Amino acid sequence: MKISLKALKYYVDINVPVEELCDRMVMAGFEVESIEAEGENIKNVVAARIVKLEPHTDSDHLQICQMDIGKENLVQIVTGAQNIKEGDLVPAALDNSDLPNGMHIKSGKLRGVESNGMLCSGEELCLTEEDYEGASVHGILILKDEWAPGTDMREVLGLDDYIIDFKITANRPDCNCFMGVAKEASVVLGSAYHPPVPTYKTVGENITDYIDVEVLNYDLCPRYVGRVVKNLRIKPSPVWMQKALMASGMRPINNIVDITNFVMLETGQPMHAFNYNDLADKKIIVRNAREGEAITTLDGKDYKLTADMLVIADGEKPSCLAGIMGGKESEIEDDTKDLFLESAKFRRDSVRKTGRALGIRTEASGRFEKGVDIVNVGFAMDRALQLICDLDAGDIIEGVLDRNLGLPEDKILNVKSSSIIELLGVQIPEDKMVEILNSLGLETAANDGVLTVRVPSIRDDIEGRADLAEEVMRIYGYDHIVGTPMRGDVMRGKKLPARVKSDKMKSLLCGLGCYEIATYSFIASGALDTLNLADDDARRNAVKLINPLGDEYSCMRTQLVTSMLTVMATNINRKIEAGRFFEESKRFIPKALPVTEQPDELPTLCIGLYGKDEDFFTLKGIVEEIMTLFGAHTQYKRSSENYLHPGRQAEVLANNVSAAVFGEVHPAVAKNYDIDTRVYVAEIKLDVLYAINKRKTTYKPLPKYPAVERDFAMLCDKDIPVGDLERAIVSGGGRLLEKVELFDVYQGSQIPEGKKSVAYSVWLRSSEGTLTDAQIEDASSKIIAKLEKLGAELRK
Amino acid sequence: MKQQLEQIKTAALEAIENAQNSADCENVRVKYLGKKGELTAILKMMGGLSPEERPIMGQLVNTAKAEVDAALSKKVEQMQAEAEELKLKQETIDITMPAKQDKTGKLHPLNTVLNDMIDIFQSMGFDVVDGPEVETDHYNFECLNVPADHPARDMQDTFYLAENILLRTQTSAAQIRTMETRKPPIRVICPGRVFRADEVDATHSPVFHQIEGLVVDKGVTMCDLKGVLEQFAHEIYGPETKVKFRPSFFPFTEPSVEVDVSCSECGGKGCRVCKGAGWIEILGAGMVHPNVLRSCGIDPEEYSGFAFGIGLDRLTTTRYKISDIRLLFENDKRFLDQF
Repeated sequence: MKISLKALKYYVDINVPVEELCDRMVMAGFEVESIEAEGENIKNVVAARIVKLEPHTDSDHLQICQMDIGKENLVQIVTGAQNIKEGDLVPAALDNSDLPNGMHIKSGKLRGVESNGMLCSGEELCLTEEDYEGASVHGILILKDEWAPGTDMREVLGLDDYIIDFKITANRPDCNCFMGVAKEASVVLGSAYHPPVPTYKTVGENITDYIDVEVLNYDLCPRYVGRVVKNLRIKPSPVWMQKALMASGMRPINNIVDITNFVMLETGQPMHAFNYNDLADKKIIVRNAREGEAITTLDGKDYKLTADMLVIADGEKPSCLAGIMGGKESEIEDDTKDLFLESAKFRRDSVRKTGRALGIRTEASGRFEKGVDIVNVGFAMDRALQLICDLDAGDIIEGVLDRNLGLPEDKILNVKSSSIIELLGVQIPEDKMVEILNSLGLETAANDGVLTVRVPSIRDDIEGRADLAEEVMRIYGYDHIVGTPMRGDVMRGKKLPARVKSDKMKSLLCGLGCYEIATYSFIASGALDTLNLADDDARRNAVKLINPLGDEYSCMRTQLVTSMLTVMATNINRKIEAGRFFEESKRFIPKALPVTEQPDELPTLCIGLYGKDEDFFTLKGIVEEIMTLFGAHTQYKRSSENYLHPGRQAEVLANNVSAAVFGEVHPAVAKNYDIDTRVYVAEIKLDVLYAINKRKTTYKPLPKYPAVERDFAMLCDKDIPVGDLERAIVSGGGRLLEKVELFDVYQGSQIPEGKKSVAYSVWLRSSEGTLTDAQIEDASSKIIAKLEKLGAELRK
Repeated sequence: MKQQLEQIKTAALEAIENAQNSADCENVRVKYLGKKGELTAILKMMGGLSPEERPIMGQLVNTAKAEVDAALSKKVEQMQAEAEELKLKQETIDITMPAKQDKTGKLHPLNTVLNDMIDIFQSMGFDVVDGPEVETDHYNFECLNVPADHPARDMQDTFYLAENILLRTQTSAAQIRTMETRKPPIRVICPGRVFRADEVDATHSPVFHQIEGLVVDKGVTMCDLKGVLEQFAHEIYGPETKVKFRPSFFPFTEPSVEVDVSCSECGGKGCRVCKGAGWIEILGAGMVHPNVLRSCGIDPEEYSGFAFGIGLDRLTTTRYKISDIRLLFENDKRFLDQF
C-alpha cells in the first residue's frame, strides 16, 4: 500500500520526521517496504540564469552559455538549444548530476569547448505541462522568474513529498487504505485523527424511477448498494486527487473514474461506475453467469464465463465481472450523461476463483480477495457522492438501493485483563489496556478485572483474548517483553531413532571421503527416460505436481539416481578430477495414481563416485561398511537394472530383503548426462536398513590358543564366482574356521583356457586348545572336498 | 713387574682412547684382555713370585684388568650412541612433504548448521521430530487456522499434487501432528524441507528448509518465547546478541512477531551486512493461536504455547556469507569442501 505523506496528513496530524513515523509504524506491525522521496532521482540540478550567450565558433548550432548558479564563479555550459536568451532562468544539470530519465551528466568538451553540465528540457526532467507550464515546449524549459539562481530544482518543482510503501499483513485488510493507515498512525503517534464526514446534496427525484437492483445470490454478494447520478460533467479531476492517485500507482482518467479510484484508496472499498444509459431494461441483477455467457471487459478482452462466476448484469447480459472488472459496453466515457454507481461486498473466494480462472487481477479484485467490510460499503458510497457533489461532477438522485440480508451487530468480547497478562508475561496496567483498545476504535470498559470490548465488523480479525493481547502489546511496545529462561519440568531432548541412525551413517560416509549433497525433491518429467528404464518400470509412476514451476521441476522423484548423476556431471564438467558424494533424501512412492492420499515417503541413500581410483569394488566397500553399521547380514546377487552396466552391478540383500542396488553406470545412461568417464552409483533403501534390529554387541574373549594358517590354491572354471568358493571354504572349515582371505586370482599364461587360478589364506583356530595335526588335517580335507565339489582342482 | 703392569695398563687405556671404531675396540680387548692378552700373560707370570707377594700382585692385576675393561665398555657404548645418533640424523625427512591420508568428506553446510541448531535446542529439552513433506490441506492449512478462503493462502504459493494434497509450505504442519500425538508439556523442534512456488534466483528457491519449534505447557508466556530465542541467538551469534520483537502476522500464532537479532558484524551500529539497519530478521514466531490448540484437542484456557519457524537456508547463507542460495543445491565439490 503506497501512500504519499501529504495524503496521509489529510487525515492525521503528523509532527515527526517521516523516518520516525515509519520506525514507529514498523513497531506497531506495519512494515515499511520503502520510503521514496519525491524527486529522489533528480540530483544536482539547479535553477540557473543565463548571463551571457555566444555562438560556438566551430559549430553552426551550438551555443556557449555562462551560467549564474548562485555561486561566486559562473559556470560554462554548451547547449544545442535555440529557444533561450540572456537573462532566462533555466534548469541546469551540473557536473555529476542525475536526471529522472536515468541520464548521468558529467563535465566534458563539446567540439573542443568545455561544458560543465547540461541545460534541461521539460522532457529530460520527465515533466508534463501539468507539472510545470512550458514543460512540453520543444527546447529548454524556461522557468518562472521567481527563484534565486542555485535553487534546487526539486524545490522549484514542489517535489517535497514522500511516498511510503506499507506492507499490510493479511489480517488487516482494513488498513489497505489511507484511512486505515491514518487511524493506526494516529494511535501510534498519539495525535488526532480526522476521518472525512460525508455530506452531500441531492437534486430530489427518486432512484426507484431510474433503476431496480436485484441480488439473486446473497451468498456471494452479501451487500449491494446502488445510486444514480445524472447530468455528469466529465472533466479532469483536481490536481490534489491526481497526485494522490499517482502516488499510489494509479493513473488519473477523469473526475468520475478518479473519484471511484480515490474512494477505493481512501476507504479500502472498491467502487464501480456504470454508464446508466447503457443498462438494458434499467435493471441491475447480481447473479451467477450462465454457462458460456460472454463479456468484453474494459481492457477490450473477451471472456467466456462459467456458471460459478458472479456477474452484475442488466436486464439482458453481464455488464461487469463482480468485484473484478467492468464491461466495455457500460464504460464511463467523456460523453456519458448519467451514472449508476455501485458499492458492494463480494465473497473473497468467489472473486479469487473467478479472477484465477480468467487470469485477471485488478486493484479491486485484490481488495475483495483480502476482504472488505460490509458496513464500510455504505460509508464509501456516501464519500463518493460527497466528492461528486464537492467537485460538481453531476447531480445526485435522491434515494439509495441497499440490498442485504441484515448487517452484523458489533461483537462483544469479555476477557479478563489478568488473562492477557498471563499470555504476555508483561504487567500492563488495566487502564493502559483500556486506553489502547479505545484508541484503536475497540470500545472498551473495565469492570471487576474483566474487559468488555465492542468489536466493529471492520475488525473481524479480532476474535478473543489472544487478538486483544496482540493489539495491546503492539501499541504498548514489544520492547517491554523481557526474556525469561526456559521454565517447567526438566526435559531431555531426544532424537527419533531414524535420525540417530542417519547421523551415524552420515559420519561414516564422511569418514569414507563422501561429500553430502542436497538436491531438489522434484525432477523433470523426462528424467526417468535418461535412465533408460523400461516403459512399465514402477518408478515411472511418479506423483506429478499440478502447478509446477516448469517441466524441469514437475515430478516427485521415485529414485535419487538422476539427481546424483546430474551433480556428478556438473563436477565432471568443471574438471574436478574425482568425487565421492552421497545424499540422504526421500523417494515418493504413490499408493495409487492419480493420488488420493499422501504417497509413501521412503528414506533413501544414494552414493555416487567417480575418479581414477574408483571402481565397482571401492563402491562395494562403502556399501559393505554401511551394511555392517546397520548390522545387516548381506548377500550379493547379480542384478539387472537398465541404468547400470549389465556385467558390473549387484543387488544387496540385507537379512534376505532387497536393500540396495549398486554398480557402474551404463555408458549409454552416462552419455545422457554428457558424462564420458566411468561413474558408479548405489541406491540404498534406508527404510529397510532402519528396520533392522541390530544385535547387541557383547564381548568375545580374545583367543588364548594359536591360529593355524593354511593356503589353498586351486584351478577352477573362470565363471565360478569367488563368492561360491569362499562359501565352500566357510562351510568346510566349520567351527574352527576363523577367517578367509582371497589373496590371488589369476588368468593367463600357464593357466589353461577357460580356467582361473584362485588362492585363499584360511585361518583355523579353536577356543578350547591348540589345534592338533589331526584336527587341522580334518578341517583341510573337508574344505578341499567342498571345493572339489564345485569343480575346483587343488594345486599342490 | 709392578712397573710392567703399570705400562701395560697405560698402553691399553691409550689404545682405547685412540680407538676409531668397534674393530679397534675388539683389537684392544683381544690384545690386553683376551686369553693370550698381555694382562692375562702377567697373571700367568705370577708363578715366580713369593707367596706373600702373590695375592698383592694378583689384586693389582685384577684392578688394572677391571679398569681397562670398564674403559673399553664405556668406549663401546659411546661409539654405539654416536652411531645411533648419526643414523637418526641421516634419516631426517622433509616434513613439508604432503600428508598420506584418506581424505574425509563433509556434511552439506545446511546440515552442519542444522546439527548446531539441534544441539542447542536439544540442550534446552526439545525433542527432534519429523513430519511428511507431502501434506494434506488439513494439516498444512486448516488446522493452522488458514481456512480455504483465507487470504493468508496467497502468502505462500503452494505446489499441489491433488486437490487436498500438497507439498508442505511450512514445517508448522508438524506442530499439529505433534500436538495430536503428544500431551503437554510439549517441547519439540521439527527440522525439514518445505516448498513454495518461488522462481529460482539468488535469494529464492522453491525448495528450502525450516526448523519449527513448539512449546506447549501451562502458563507459557511471550517472555518465555523471547527467553528461548535469546538463548538460541546467543549460541548462534554470540553472547552479546540482542533480540527484538516486531509485530507481524501469521495465521497460526497470535500475537505474532518477526524476530530480529542485532547484527553480529557491526554489533548493531549498521553495516553492509545488515543494510545499515543494525538488525537482521531471522525468524517468525508467536503464541500458538487458540484455534490451533483447539483443533488439536488442547484446551487454550488451560494451556498456552509458543511456536517459531527458522529459515535454515538463510541462516546458512548468512553464517558463511554465501551470496547465492543456488550454490547450496549445485553441489560443486569445491564448494562443499569449504564447510
